[in-house]
Amino acid sequence: MIKKDLIIKNQLGLHARASNKLATLSSKFKSNVEIIYNDEKVDAKNMMDILLLSIGLHDTFTLKIEGSDEKKAFESIAKLVDNFFGEGK
Amino acid sequence: MFILSGIPVSPGIAIGHAYILAHALGEIEPYSIPKNKVTHEIKRFNNSVRNLHLELVHLKNELKKNKMIEYGSFIDIQLSILKDPKISEDPKKIIKDTLTNAEWALKIQMDEIISKFNKINNTYIKERKNDVYQVCENLIKYLIGHQSHKVSNDRNQIIVAHDISPSDALKFKNSNNLAFITDIGGTTSHTAILAKSINIPSVVGTQNAKQLINHDDLLIVDGGHGCILVNPPNNVIEEYKIKQNLYEIESKKLLSLQNIPSRTIDKTAINLFVNIEDTNNLSPVIENNTEGVGLFRTEFIFMDQHKMLDENEQFVIYKNLTKSLPNKTLIIRTLDSGGDKIIEHMPHTNQNPALGLRAIRFCLAEPDVFITQIKALLRAAYYGNIQILIPMLSSTNELRQVKLLIQRAKDILSSERKKYNPKTLIGGMIEVPAAAIDIDSFANELDFLSIGTNDLIQYTLAVDRTDDAVSHLYDSSHPALLKLIKGVIDSGTKAGIEVSLCGEMAGDPRLTKLLIGLGLRNFSMHPSSLLKVKKMILESNASKLKYKANKILRSHQKLEIDNLINNLND
Repeated sequence: MIKKDLIIKNQLGLHARASNKLATLSSKFKSNVEIIYNDEKVDAKNMMDILLLSIGLHDTFTLKIEGSDEKKAFESIAKLVDNFFGEGK
Repeated sequence: MFILSGIPVSPGIAIGHAYILAHALGEIEPYSIPKNKVTHEIKRFNNSVRNLHLELVHLKNELKKNKMIEYGSFIDIQLSILKDPKISEDPKKIIKDTLTNAEWALKIQMDEIISKFNKINNTYIKERKNDVYQVCENLIKYLIGHQSHKVSNDRNQIIVAHDISPSDALKFKNSNNLAFITDIGGTTSHTAILAKSINIPSVVGTQNAKQLINHDDLLIVDGGHGCILVNPPNNVIEEYKIKQNLYEIESKKLLSLQNIPSRTIDKTAINLFVNIEDTNNLSPVIENNTEGVGLFRTEFIFMDQHKMLDENEQFVIYKNLTKSLPNKTLIIRTLDSGGDKIIEHMPHTNQNPALGLRAIRFCLAEPDVFITQIKALLRAAYYGNIQILIPMLSSTNELRQVKLLIQRAKDILSSERKKYNPKTLIGGMIEVPAAAIDIDSFANELDFLSIGTNDLIQYTLAVDRTDDAVSHLYDSSHPALLKLIKGVIDSGTKAGIEVSLCGEMAGDPRLTKLLIGLGLRNFSMHPSSLLKVKKMILESNASKLKYKANKILRSHQKLEIDNLINNLND
């Protein structure tokens, strides 16, 4: 099990398109992927759940991944977050 | 097979498949489903999800082809929302747990999701609730069989709807629908008027046809008897095909009356006119040898265009009418908006629209709109026999204001050096009981009168014709009403002006002889009623009917009046 904090760096935060990218990416892995934020825990494979957390710029959330491909999943997701979800800023 | 019944509003027999018309989310209602249908209901839900998924993927590919990829990301979001178990899975639990229909389960789920979005402070994210809404709305359209990308004028279909609004009705005018079925409405609802005007069978006021009929069900609609047979067996279909033939033969027989002059046995001429809502189909006016147009409801041309038309646009429409119908009388009613006919850009009246700011009241409150229309009409009247009809007059004070505004329109036209007919006849629609009671003061100030019985009945009897709970009280042979009609006809005759009747009553062959007896000489109706009414006229004897009608006027019992009317017709 991997449990680590990540910080949102893109300006718009986890808005619709970013949430969609995160959910689409998470869905590619067999592992269970969860996001914990403000005492709420949601399935990172469901776009609307992520969106409804309303995570903004500079917010910290916890990623909890458990499964056979957890390492690869974590690396990919962390990369997406660090790369501003491909939005450039 | 099962049978539904409703109010027959337009005769004829149609056999075809159901097309459920819905305004999706706004219209859905809960109903419970039996336990053994849960799997079926879930399957229905899954199908709608699959269909919408396919539609969105298809749309995305189309956008890619057209290099409109920026819209593609919106579709990605909707696809993602659709895939989210909150949308694609949770409603199934609701169906199973509460035994409710798929549409309602989805609506419950959607309301919950949207309330979550509403709690979010980030406006950018909050806005995404619109995507959720759109996804759910599209799912519901699939569930109830109304697919957004499919235009409803393909093959032969029978429209099944909760109600058909006047603007919906316009969309159907030129499509190949076989019949209309609605849950609500009565003989004078807009569905009825539409169905008659395009001469297709219709049944309204069925209460729950839309719920009970599924998309694509095979239906037989018997518009003359107000019944609908849902998924009938073959032998019944065959039987109805024979009936359909007989009906058509009967209609053809009536056609032979087209060229016979419209007068009674004792040679009293009865003038027939046609009610129209647009200028697309004017052939019945000529084919049936009528005197012309007795009522042109101009609000429909505005609704058709979704905007107020300026003076020139209106002028062209009215002038073309004089060209299409040369030598005919053309009675054009000024804007009668409000009530159940609301043009989108106009302010809506709340609460009690029938008693609100409508028709001439609206025009007097918005004199610019009124003067624009009057100017266009006066100009067009230069080219043909156009007469202006003012709706819903209730006091002579209003009438004086109307006349002042008409004078102002004339002054403006003179100063603009535009050609117009200064002697254009101005008539009043008598549909408010106050005007019918104090009719002499109106008859002396107007060039002609036209009795609008639909509203006159509604206002006299205080019955909303579209309210199913009281529509049975809507009685066109109520003694109070007959007295009012008689009063208007007598007053007009005394003043030496023409009186016509342009409500539904004019087109009801059962009442033709009675109205002739009351002294009516000008009837204006839907083209589909013309020949049936003419058939009655040809059998009438005006002087004898006068005597009999007076007897009916003295009666106060509905049953007795109905019997006497039947006697007239025997």
